[in-house]
Amino acid sequence: MAILVSGFGFSQTISQDSTATKNQQQNAAQNILSGNISKGVTVGGYAEVDYNQPEGVNGKMDVHRLVMLLGYKFNDRVQFITEIEYEHVKEVFIEQAFLNYSLNDNLNIRGGLMLVPMGIVNEYHEPTTFNGVERPNVDKSIVPTTWREIGIGVSGKFNEANLRYQAYIFNGFASVIDTKVLGGSNGLRNGRQKGAESTVNTPNFSAKLDYYGIQGLRLGLSGYFGRTQAADDVQDIDGADIGISMYGLDARYINRRFSARGQYIQAILSDVADYNSLNSASLGSELKGWYVEAAYNVLPVSREQKLDAFVRFEKYDTHAATKDAGITRNLGYNRNEWTTGLSYHVALGAVVKADYQFLDNAIDGNNTKGQLNIGFGVWF
Amino acid sequence: MNFKYIFILLTIFVIMSFGMPKHLQKRVDKEVKNIFKTETFTLNSVVFIPETVNQLPATFHDNNWFHIIDNDSLLGFAYIGKAKSKADDFDYLVMFDTNLIILKSKVLIYREDYGGEIGSKRWLKQFIGKTYTDNFKYGENIAAISGATISVRAMTNAINNVLASIKILHEKDLL
Repeated sequence: MAILVSGFGFSQTISQDSTATKNQQQNAAQNILSGNISKGVTVGGYAEVDYNQPEGVNGKMDVHRLVMLLGYKFNDRVQFITEIEYEHVKEVFIEQAFLNYSLNDNLNIRGGLMLVPMGIVNEYHEPTTFNGVERPNVDKSIVPTTWREIGIGVSGKFNEANLRYQAYIFNGFASVIDTKVLGGSNGLRNGRQKGAESTVNTPNFSAKLDYYGIQGLRLGLSGYFGRTQAADDVQDIDGADIGISMYGLDARYINRRFSARGQYIQAILSDVADYNSLNSASLGSELKGWYVEAAYNVLPVSREQKLDAFVRFEKYDTHAATKDAGITRNLGYNRNEWTTGLSYHVALGAVVKADYQFLDNAIDGNNTKGQLNIGFGVWF
Repeated sequence: MNFKYIFILLTIFVIMSFGMPKHLQKRVDKEVKNIFKTETFTLNSVVFIPETVNQLPATFHDNNWFHIIDNDSLLGFAYIGKAKSKADDFDYLVMFDTNLIILKSKVLIYREDYGGEIGSKRWLKQFIGKTYTDNFKYGENIAAISGATISVRAMTNAINNVLASIKILHEKDLL
């Protein structure tokens, strides 16, 4: 055999594009009709439909999120990606809209409306990728998912070192949006500008490192540093903005039928006392939260279907520190929760979920109630 | 010449041209050099008759299967294929020794952001030393990667298909 083939030489030919109509332009509709569109276009999406039933009050049924993903690859280097989101049926948002330029395997430059890499769920928020009908509450009150702003940055991977990195300059949270201020139960959540006519006066820096060099384990280290954005008329007044330093550590592990994840997030806020007195707000000077979760697939791993039974413990406090904030600490914001339930992956990309949440906080004799959640999620 | 060699002659065409995109070829060359410790090799694309190709679970067209030749002797084989990640294709390479044992697998070009972790050297090591009698099962003898489930499954299936194809070719005495 070796002798048979070795007599032939090796030569290289450059393939010629033989299309005679190369200079003809087509509009979008013609593109679709001629079938060319399939070459560069990516269509996808995800959706979550939930039923939440708190104890003792009426429940809620909601098409929580319906997101259409559209991407277009202009060539191997240049790609546009956008996610158009309907929340609760009636609110329309853009979740991502960025242009990516790939210089090589190790370096991409991207700009536009992008996800802030902090913790696990903000980046990996598709419903088939996490357990529980609702996202973990740490990923709501401490990391305000889906957290996205307009910015520019770099990302890439080093396969030899099993490292992925991201670093961005982003626009920050708004100090105040209309009458909504930061603080209370959900920390920074009200300040998300989401790329909608967003105010900018100081840049914020965000970075994440992911390490996946240990079989089955993935570790993440995130950081976010900057200040909130104040409107022109107040920006020189004390308390017009606050400083933010947020750190995140996350881990995900999977081995056959067992999987686990955990994350720890801490945000140190500065100039909060002035902010609170200027805006009659109750923002703590530190936000802190963590969770650990374990899951076991009760079906054989050889099956396409997966039935994960999981349990998660979360502890998070949006008033982790209030001394420097000029407010009284609200122990009701120091919460701990158990969530346990099932995620039945009926196909790759389709999951039916049910769980129960035991909610509690640091107030003695508080009468927080539990909540039952049932829903489905798809990702394609 | 016995019947077997006539059969092989009728079944194999060696393609003289090498129509791989340049940047892909550069990466393949680099890997071959590293694994086979040679600077003077040639890669000969080998195709089989359509009846054979149609029986193979992996794609075996013009530029998929290569014989790695140095000084008239066969050093090993290389398979270059494409598989689908979530929203795009990726190119991969699998190199074999003359006993059809995997020496190395590599993701040559990965195009989307999601799932690129399958390029991890550590993860790809799992395929080394295996051959056409082996079969990989996601989550059993191939570790999952959090955040890259779709690509891990795609690469695992792709390598299974290449090995199953090699098994068929081997049984037909074509390898």
